[in-house]
Amino acid sequence: MLAFSIRRLIYSVLVIFGVVTVVFFIMNLLPDPARMMQGQRADLATQQAIRHELGLDLPAWQRYVRFLGDVAHGDLGRSFTSNRPVLESIWERFGATATLAISSMIIASIVGVGIGVLSAIRSYSLFDNASMLVALVGISVPAFVMGLLAMLVFGSWLDWLPVSGYMWEGGELHLEYLVLPMLVLAFRPVSIIARVTRSSMLEVMSSDYVRTAKAKGAPWKSIVYKHALRNALNPVVTTVSAWLAGLLVGTYFIEYIFDWPGIGLQAVDAISRSDFPLIQGTVIFSALIFVVVNFIVDLIYARLDPRVKLG
Amino acid sequence: MIGNEPAAVEEVREELLARASVPPRLTKEETDRRRAENELVLQATPHSLWYYSWRRLKRNRLAMAGLVITLILIIVAVFASELAPFDPDMQVLEYSTEPIGFHGNVLLTKSQVDLSQTIPIPIGEYRIQNNRVIYTTDDGRDKSIALSLLAGNRESDWHKTPIYYFGTDRYGRDVLSRLMYGARVSLTVAFFAELCSLVIGVLLGSIAGFYRGWVDDGIMWFTNVVWSIPSLLLIIAFSIALGLGMWQTIVAIGITEWVDMARIVRGQFFALRETEYVEATKALGLKNMRTIFRHILPNSLGPIIVIATAGFANAIIYEASLSFLGLGVQPPTSTWGQMIHDGYGFIAAGSNWGLTLFPALAIMLAVFAFNLFGDGLRDAFDPKLKR
Repeated sequence: MLAFSIRRLIYSVLVIFGVVTVVFFIMNLLPDPARMMQGQRADLATQQAIRHELGLDLPAWQRYVRFLGDVAHGDLGRSFTSNRPVLESIWERFGATATLAISSMIIASIVGVGIGVLSAIRSYSLFDNASMLVALVGISVPAFVMGLLAMLVFGSWLDWLPVSGYMWEGGELHLEYLVLPMLVLAFRPVSIIARVTRSSMLEVMSSDYVRTAKAKGAPWKSIVYKHALRNALNPVVTTVSAWLAGLLVGTYFIEYIFDWPGIGLQAVDAISRSDFPLIQGTVIFSALIFVVVNFIVDLIYARLDPRVKLG
Repeated sequence: MIGNEPAAVEEVREELLARASVPPRLTKEETDRRRAENELVLQATPHSLWYYSWRRLKRNRLAMAGLVITLILIIVAVFASELAPFDPDMQVLEYSTEPIGFHGNVLLTKSQVDLSQTIPIPIGEYRIQNNRVIYTTDDGRDKSIALSLLAGNRESDWHKTPIYYFGTDRYGRDVLSRLMYGARVSLTVAFFAELCSLVIGVLLGSIAGFYRGWVDDGIMWFTNVVWSIPSLLLIIAFSIALGLGMWQTIVAIGITEWVDMARIVRGQFFALRETEYVEATKALGLKNMRTIFRHILPNSLGPIIVIATAGFANAIIYEASLSFLGLGVQPPTSTWGQMIHDGYGFIAAGSNWGLTLFPALAIMLAVFAFNLFGDGLRDAFDPKLKR
């Protein structure tokens, strides 16, 4: 177990190293930040000074080494617009994103697995066909489209829920602000989890041990929930963890549309203001979260299913 | 079904009984008939994988519906200039944000700059008087214009009452026409982006799967790196770095979205390398390239096509997302994402919801239809896997 953990850890660090390298490469393709910061009016001397301060007058390989060192020390630079350390601004906003992502995934896992199991044990029934069609819609609709449609229907037409804003206002908790973005964000993972659960359950339900359980006359509920579901959950857990990692770093549109002050909204703002250090920091931070979540999931997996360690 | 255990037990018992009992003796006629049937099957030329897949696909009604919708969208995209009722960029500022099914009432005048172009003037009423047309403008004033300045010769040439079926946007452009032209952008970008990631994914996946060892380790490391970066951020970073535009969007999506393809192709290579026919190519001394392209890849086409259709649907989503943020294909070219962005400000005010709803439905329909078709394809290529 220890050897496995160390192997995975080294690999994760290598992946992060790759991400930082790719980010450095892309940032090198971007327009000159000195001009970006000062606008078109800046005189050459000021531009030179900024270039020197940012180390842009050094050769590429020196900049690369410096960049690696900075990132390793947790220094992701300063924002062009607010001049605050990037990591600080991201960390400050991460709580809002995590709240949204985790609450969404809790809903998505429960509803998704529920629909998947019901669909599988009544396969090709009306319920199954209808819910799988809805799940396909869920996969087909981009997040921002779903968000806007939800705003239109529940906010504008029915006027049930507030359409934008954060749940903490003046030190008070307003949970109704969480409902709409959370549900919209959950729609796609619900669809995918339902599809994965259904196909996994169908496969398990036709296996020999379920047949044996049926033959020995085990109660139907215990066949479905004890024999089948537990064994069908493996791919479901993979999907759930991948989506949790994905949502923690990928809620840009939902945050943007619902004005939810997380790292996604901050990233979209940074993009519209060409605040490159903040974008770059968000990319590296997101990749780091993604890799860390996957690393933890790998370890839990190896603990639950020793076969994983061999792979 | 829950709570139906006796039936389940019954089913198993019947099956066991059926297996234990002695099969009935066949009559001579029956044996002969079965033998002849077997002969027929053996003599008939076996059909290709494509034949059987297509036959299974044709029976899947949802998949065929998806295919038909996709084909209609492609036709609309290709013939947008013929089918669209208006020039998508034509602005009639007086007709800003008109409702669905709005009737316009315009006089067409010849453009002074380009004689082949016409400029519409929105009017209330008009009458002809001594070679001049006297009309009331939108704000109720009377104006007149010489007949010779109007386009065409007959009254029906220069007086039009066009219908804006889906209403107009802020600049008085026809929403329906812009949707039709938007289909062009969406499908073109998605097609070429998917082509791009198909080539990258198949290439990297084949190399990794065929050579294995450190080559595989290296490629899989790179694949994991790209996979760890949120796709949308990576696409955005690439398109900003390349400059904004059509081909930049294509490249940005293409070089980000090959990860799934590379993984599937690699997996196929791992599985197929163990088969006898690939071993035979080695025994025959075939070159590696020939083995890869003539023997392994054609036999992996099923999964490749399935991943490619899913990728195409995702590319439509990414294109729409990019242009929603204003980072995709640039105005004045109309794209669905950009139309939504221009229109969604009205939602909070509770007016002109069509400006958001119609492009949103267009995106949903396109992706949904393609996913229906893709799901059908997967079932058709692999009948064991249902959905």
